[in-house]
Amino acid sequence: MRLRTQAGDIPRSEGNVMKNFDRRSFLALTGMGALGASTLLAGCGSGSSGAALRYAWWGNTVRQQTYSQALEEFQEANPDISVDPEFAEYGAFQERMTTQMAARNVADIFWVASPQVMTYEANGLYRRLDDIPTLDLSDYSDDDIESFSFDGQLLTMPHGVFAPVARYNETFLEEDGATLPGEDWTWEELSEFLIDYAAGNSGGRRGASYTPDQDMAFEAWLRQRGQDLWTEDGSIGFDAEALGDWFEWWRVLLDEGAVLSLGEQEGMQPDFSAVGDNILLNFGSSNHIIDEAAMFPDYKYRLRMVPAGEDASEGHRFLYFPRLAIYSGIDDDKVEAAGQLVDHNVNNSDFLKTVGLTMGAPPNPRLLQEAYEFASEDETEMLEVVEATREEDQRPRYEAPPGTGTWREALSRASESIALGDAGVSETAESLIAEIQSGIDQGA
Amino acid sequence: MAPLLRRRAPRPGAAERRRGRAAYVFLTPWLLGLGLVTGVPLAASLYLAFTDYNILGTPSFTGLANFERMFADERFWAASSVTARYVFISVPLQLMFALLLAVVLDRGLRGLSFYRGAFYLPSLLGASVAIVILWREIFGHNGLVNDVLAFVGIEGQSWLQNPSTALSTLIVLNVWTFGSPMVIFLAGLRQIPEEYYEAAKVDGASRLRQFRHITVPMLTPIIFFNLILQTIGSFQTFTQAHVISGGTGGPVDSTLFYTLYVYQQGFRAFEMGYASALAWVLLLVIGAVTALHFILSKFWVFYGDD
Repeated sequence: MRLRTQAGDIPRSEGNVMKNFDRRSFLALTGMGALGASTLLAGCGSGSSGAALRYAWWGNTVRQQTYSQALEEFQEANPDISVDPEFAEYGAFQERMTTQMAARNVADIFWVASPQVMTYEANGLYRRLDDIPTLDLSDYSDDDIESFSFDGQLLTMPHGVFAPVARYNETFLEEDGATLPGEDWTWEELSEFLIDYAAGNSGGRRGASYTPDQDMAFEAWLRQRGQDLWTEDGSIGFDAEALGDWFEWWRVLLDEGAVLSLGEQEGMQPDFSAVGDNILLNFGSSNHIIDEAAMFPDYKYRLRMVPAGEDASEGHRFLYFPRLAIYSGIDDDKVEAAGQLVDHNVNNSDFLKTVGLTMGAPPNPRLLQEAYEFASEDETEMLEVVEATREEDQRPRYEAPPGTGTWREALSRASESIALGDAGVSETAESLIAEIQSGIDQGA
Repeated sequence: MAPLLRRRAPRPGAAERRRGRAAYVFLTPWLLGLGLVTGVPLAASLYLAFTDYNILGTPSFTGLANFERMFADERFWAASSVTARYVFISVPLQLMFALLLAVVLDRGLRGLSFYRGAFYLPSLLGASVAIVILWREIFGHNGLVNDVLAFVGIEGQSWLQNPSTALSTLIVLNVWTFGSPMVIFLAGLRQIPEEYYEAAKVDGASRLRQFRHITVPMLTPIIFFNLILQTIGSFQTFTQAHVISGGTGGPVDSTLFYTLYVYQQGFRAFEMGYASALAWVLLLVIGAVTALHFILSKFWVFYGDD
C-alpha cells in the first residue's frame, strides 16, 4: 500500500515539472523573482539619465489640478527632468512632512507652512538657493533678496504675497443700503458698523464670522500698537494686554450678535461655503478672495486693508510671503534641475497663468505687472491691495520661532474658550502667552 | 542502569525538520512585519520616552522629565478625563445595547441573517471617516437631529460645538457600533442549553427571571470577553475625535481623546519624546485596567466548570 502520492501518480509531463520544481527550487525561484522585480522597479524609479524630482505642495482640489498641470507642462518643456507630484490638504501636508523628516525622506522641493519656517531652518532642512546657477534672481532687488534671507543666506524662495485684508460682500451692502466706514476706518468704527448692520439688515445676516484666531488680522492689530507677533530673537512680541484687548474686541461683537456664534459657524474654522451667505465681511489673507468668491458667483466681493487708527504705529502694514525650499538632503546631481523647477515656479509667467493666483500676488515684480494682463476681476482686486500695501512703509516682521508650530491652534482654543464663556479675557490671554512661551522653551 | 530506563523524546525525522524549516520560511513575512513594524518601533518609543526628541534632531536623554512634565500639563489631565469618561460610559452602554439586541434576535425572528448583517454593519463603518463626517452633519447646527427637534417644536443647538454635549455625541456613535459584541453575544446565547430554560419554565419562572438567573450568568464569560475588547478599543479611540473636531479636540478640549493628544504632541508640536512617554502611560493604564478586570472577574464570571 502506498501511503504517499508518488511522481508516478501524476501524468508524465506534470510529474516532471513537479519533480524538477521541489521546495528548494521554488524558494530560489521566488527569491530571484523578487530580486528581479525589485531591480526592475528600482530601474523604473530612477528614470532615464535625467533628474527625477519630487515636488510637494498643499491646497484644495483646484490647486492640486492646476499645479499638476503646470508640473506636466514643465516636464514637456524639460524632457530630461521628471517630477513626481506630492500633494495634500494643508493639515495633512504638515503631518506628512513630519513623517518624511523623521525618515529623512523629504521631497526635493517643498512648500513651507508658515508656523514651521524657523523650525525647519533651525534643523537644517533647507538647502542654499543663491548658489544654484539655474535659479535666476535678477528680477529681484537686493532689498527683496535681503528680506527673503535668514542671516544673509537665501534658504527659501517666496512664491506668493499675501496682505491682511477685510473682504466684504458688496452685493449685500447695496441690497441693505449700508455703507462701510471710510477707507481710513478704525477698529472701533468697524465694530459699531458691524453691530448696527447685524441689528438692521433685512436678510438676518451677521456682520462677520467669529475669527479672533485669524492670525494675519491679529498680527495687524499688534503692529498698529507697536508690538509684533514675534521678535527678531525668537521671542513672543506681544503682551497679555494687547492680546486681551483683541479678545475683548471680538467678545463685544459676539455679545451684541454682530458675529456668528460658534454653533452657527460650526466651530472655530468656519467653512466659507457654508457661512458666506450669512455674513457681510470677514478677515483673512488677500489671496482667499480667489477661491472663496468663486463659491458665490452671484455676489461681488471687494477687499480692503484692515482697519487702523490714526495713532497706529509707523510701518505697521505688512505682507506675508509663503515660501518654498529645496531639501538640504537633495542629491548633488539633482540640484540644478531643482533650481530650474524653482525658477520656473517663481519667475515664469506661463506657470503663473496655469496655476492662477491662489497663492497670492507673485513676489517677482516683473511677473506682478504681467499678472494684471490675465487676472480676473477678483484677482485684480487682490493684486491691487497687495501693491497698495507694498507701497506703504513696513517695519520688519519675523517668522514664528521653533517650538511655536501649534500656536495658532492654541489661539483658536483660547478664542473658543472666550466665546463659550469658559474663561475671562485677561485670564485667557495670560494663559495663552504662558502656553506659547512653554512651546518656545521646549523648542529651544 | 537508570540512564537506560530514561526514555528520550523521539528526534524529529528529516522530513519533519524540513517541514519545520519551510514553515518558518513561509512565516518570515509575518515575523519580519512583527519585528520591524511593531517590535522595533515599540522598543524605539520606549527609549524615546526618556528623551527630548523633536524628530528633526537627535534624541537627548532626559530621564524621567517627560513623565514629570505630565503632572503639570493641564491638557494631559483634560485628555485623560475625556478618555476615562468615554470608556466608562460608552463601553457599558454599548454592551448592554448589544446584549439586548442579541437576546431579541435569538428568539428566532424571520430574516435573522438580514437583521444580523444590518446590525453588524455599523461596526464595520463606525470608525470610518465617512461615517464620522455623516455624524458631524447629523448633529450639526443645521443637521437632521435639529430638524427633527424643530418638527416637534424644540429649538436645537449645535451638539458638536457645545462642550457639554460634544462628547455625548461620540458616545452615541460608539454605542451605535454595537454589532461586533452583538454577534459574539448571539453566538454565546446559542451555547446555553435549552433544558435550563425548559426547567425554569416548568418552575414558573418569568422571562425576566430566566434572563437574570440563566442567560446572564451563563453569558458572563462572553460579557467578560467583550468587556475586555471594547475597553481596550475605546481607550484607543482616535478617528472619531480627529474628524469631528478637525484634529483639535475641541470645543475647548471636550473631545480631546488621549490618542489625539499623543498625536498632536508628536506630529504637530514635534514633541516626539513627550508623545512616546504619553503613549507608554496609556499602554500601562490599559494594562492596569485589563488586569483589574481579570482580578474582578473572579467575583462575577462563571465558567461551566465552576
